[in-house]
Amino acid sequence: MDILPQLVANSIIAGALYAVITLGFNLIYTTTRFIDISYGAIAVVGGYGVFFLSKKLGLDLAISIPLAVIFAGALGFIVDRFVYSKLRARKASNMIILIASLGVFTVLQAIVAILFSSQFQTLSALAGETRTFEIWGGVITDIQLVMLISGLLIFLVLAFLLKKTMFGKALRAVSDDVEVAKIVGINTDKIIGKVVFLGSAIAGLAGIFIGFDTGIEPTMGMALLLKGVVASIIGGIGNIYGGIVGAFLLGFVENFGIWQISGEWKDAIAFGVLILFLLFRPNGILRR
Amino acid sequence: MEYIIHLLILIGIYGILALSLNLVVGFTGLLSVTHAAFYGIGAYATALLMTNFGINFFLAATLSILITLLSALVIGPILARFRDDYYALGSFGFNIIVWSVLLNWQELTRGPLGIPGIPRPSFELGIMNYEFSSNLSFLILTSLFLIMTYFLSQYIVQSSFGRVLKAVREDEEVIQVFGYNTPYYKLVIFLVGAGMASIAGSLFATYITFIDPSTFTLNESVFILSIIILGGLANNRGAVLGAACLILLPELLRFVGFPSDVAAQMRQLVYGLLLVLLMLYRPQGLMGEYKL
Repeated sequence: MDILPQLVANSIIAGALYAVITLGFNLIYTTTRFIDISYGAIAVVGGYGVFFLSKKLGLDLAISIPLAVIFAGALGFIVDRFVYSKLRARKASNMIILIASLGVFTVLQAIVAILFSSQFQTLSALAGETRTFEIWGGVITDIQLVMLISGLLIFLVLAFLLKKTMFGKALRAVSDDVEVAKIVGINTDKIIGKVVFLGSAIAGLAGIFIGFDTGIEPTMGMALLLKGVVASIIGGIGNIYGGIVGAFLLGFVENFGIWQISGEWKDAIAFGVLILFLLFRPNGILRR
Repeated sequence: MEYIIHLLILIGIYGILALSLNLVVGFTGLLSVTHAAFYGIGAYATALLMTNFGINFFLAATLSILITLLSALVIGPILARFRDDYYALGSFGFNIIVWSVLLNWQELTRGPLGIPGIPRPSFELGIMNYEFSSNLSFLILTSLFLIMTYFLSQYIVQSSFGRVLKAVREDEEVIQVFGYNTPYYKLVIFLVGAGMASIAGSLFATYITFIDPSTFTLNESVFILSIIILGGLANNRGAVLGAACLILLPELLRFVGFPSDVAAQMRQLVYGLLLVLLMLYRPQGLMGEYKL
């Protein structure tokens, strides 16, 4: 079997997953302007939500997945209300909010580990028999196909929301300048709340995808978050469309990297890319 | 008594880590979350030099500092160009890279198996041969290093060099206008911090006599960061106080009697919660002289 089509397929799948993570991350970043570390833990919570509802309580996936996604969104919203928005209202510096989010991340990760143990869990058995498809010599599973399609859907829906609706307009106004947005009568708290809910829900979905594709463990959140951050920085942080480009670039670099050296170095490769970008193109490949 | 000495040794080691990180985060205002990487490089370098070549602890610790400085020189100049968010992210990345090197470069580090049988420090003076095999003697050694680190830190921050660092923290652009090459100052203090962390690593490796990569994760960096945030940024006494608080606090949890896996997670939960509460209600920590 020729390895190249499979590598390309793997890269695209990884890219799609990173794109979903990056979309949610950038969405939150554009409005709140701080790097939300807890975003990674929210993704983990999403994955474990499905694990709990379907594997422990035996609920149907059609119910448990939406529930877990909504729960992740709600959790992100609650954390924002009780921690970040209070700090923002006090005009705390970005560093303070960053450290607070690091704290939230640590707490959520510990709670998940206490409730579900720190063992590696997989969700794929819940989806029944895994079917595989062959496209141009590359093999992908049905779960990965669903991932690709829903990633594309999320992107299209978000692009529509941002471009065509009042909500999108308000969101862009808030991301340009919170103060001015307030002056022209936009309820910025409400917009930020909605955005955080939406972004966190997307994070939750990404966590669920990973649960079905490979598996989940409580400590995976930081790696996930950082993949999202790396992709965002490649594309220019806060640039939603650039983030997609960054996500796929990262997917390709990682998968072609481990073609030559062994798979354990995947994370090291990703952060090597981050450091290279910080060095040569700190504003990303797409200038804003 | 052994138990109390054990805790005091840990406080000493984390005190050194906190003092050195405080130079970077507290005095220069750069949010570095990669201290565990240098702690780990120092520990591994010392362990490998001592077990493979039988080098004396004090020489091995000195060589470890050099090795740590070399590795800090890889990331330092890149980080020195940034501040705030990007600085934090770049340092995250470096910590994860170092951790995955420790875990995956199995020919050198034995990967997840770790390095067992690291000898305790010893020295020879003429015919006298002394080994720090008892915990009490090790505590004295650790305290000596802690005191040296403390006075070195104090000296640095009170020197004219230290004043430039504080100026970089308050307003980097202004101090640049005065003709200071700020990336140079940021790099130098980062290297000093890394070198001190290496000493803590050498002590840790020879105290526990076993190391594996799981000690030097990003979580550990976050833990060291929480120490100085609790103790108070830009205050050296605060850094040591913070180390004492955060080492002793989880020991209280020990008496509640959780299973060991849960206990470890409870500790993380407490640290995380502490960070959030501090940021909400007292961002300057216990004795902080600087608010982020």
